[in-house]
Amino acid sequence: MRNPILMTLVGFLAVFADGAPQSIAHEEHHAECNESAINALKADIQAMRAGEAKMRATKEMNMAQQMMAKNDMEGCKSHIHSAMEATEE
Amino acid sequence: MSQPTSQHDLHQTTPRKRRWVASIFLVLLVLLGATAIAIYTGIYNVAADVPHSQPVYWLFEMVRYRSVWARAHDLVVPNDLDDAGRISRGAGQYAEMCSVCHLAPGMKRTEVSRGLYPRAPELRRGTDLSTAEEFWILKHGVKMTGMPAWGPTHNDDLLWDIVAFLQKLPELTPDQYQALVKNAPGHDQMMKGIEDGQMDHHH
Repeated sequence: MRNPILMTLVGFLAVFADGAPQSIAHEEHHAECNESAINALKADIQAMRAGEAKMRATKEMNMAQQMMAKNDMEGCKSHIHSAMEATEE
Repeated sequence: MSQPTSQHDLHQTTPRKRRWVASIFLVLLVLLGATAIAIYTGIYNVAADVPHSQPVYWLFEMVRYRSVWARAHDLVVPNDLDDAGRISRGAGQYAEMCSVCHLAPGMKRTEVSRGLYPRAPELRRGTDLSTAEEFWILKHGVKMTGMPAWGPTHNDDLLWDIVAFLQKLPELTPDQYQALVKNAPGHDQMMKGIEDGQMDHHH
């Protein structure tokens, strides 16, 4: 009969080992809504190769700027976060 | 029937031409003056944390693209860029000299890569450059981008090794990249090889 504790441990290790490379490759985003963050994002987007991801990142950044102009900081952060995700695709 | 050009017509067109030339000259003078004032007053922000407007960015990109193309398009590319030795040596050089700006598979953005403007391209995503253009940029660098010229310190063969590795880079997983770098000859070892070669050459 198999040891349930050992099986659980193996299960945890398998999940952790599978997720580890992704967590290394994926940036943790700390989205802020201010002029510096928008500028950094613009610089990132300018350097992207033309394509669908760049279009999406640009659209999200424009929406973030609109939200910032309306003082909707949470909405702005959300769009900055989405734009950051797009820059990494 | 058309009449031959009379002396009277000539007298009329010449002042009109003169006015045109004077107008163009005046416009150029005003533009030159405005440019001089703009430069002198420091109106253009050169801070690296404030990006160029899209037209200015496009202009610089186009100048860079055409300049590199004009100088690289007739370079002879070695036909052994898929050689495992070249790729391995290139991986070692890349990890040491390039990855801090251009990053690598599985690597988070660095402080340098986040601060550079224009951003250094993330080469694991591939580039639109030809192999000859990659070599040219490696050798000569690019003004006002932070890209140094490696030509003064590295011989062409070593630079082609890096180009060979760049062809492979977009298809590498983080583990494959790490394995390649681990097994590559060290940067210092390769540089010593170059220096020894130069010393032998001088003797």
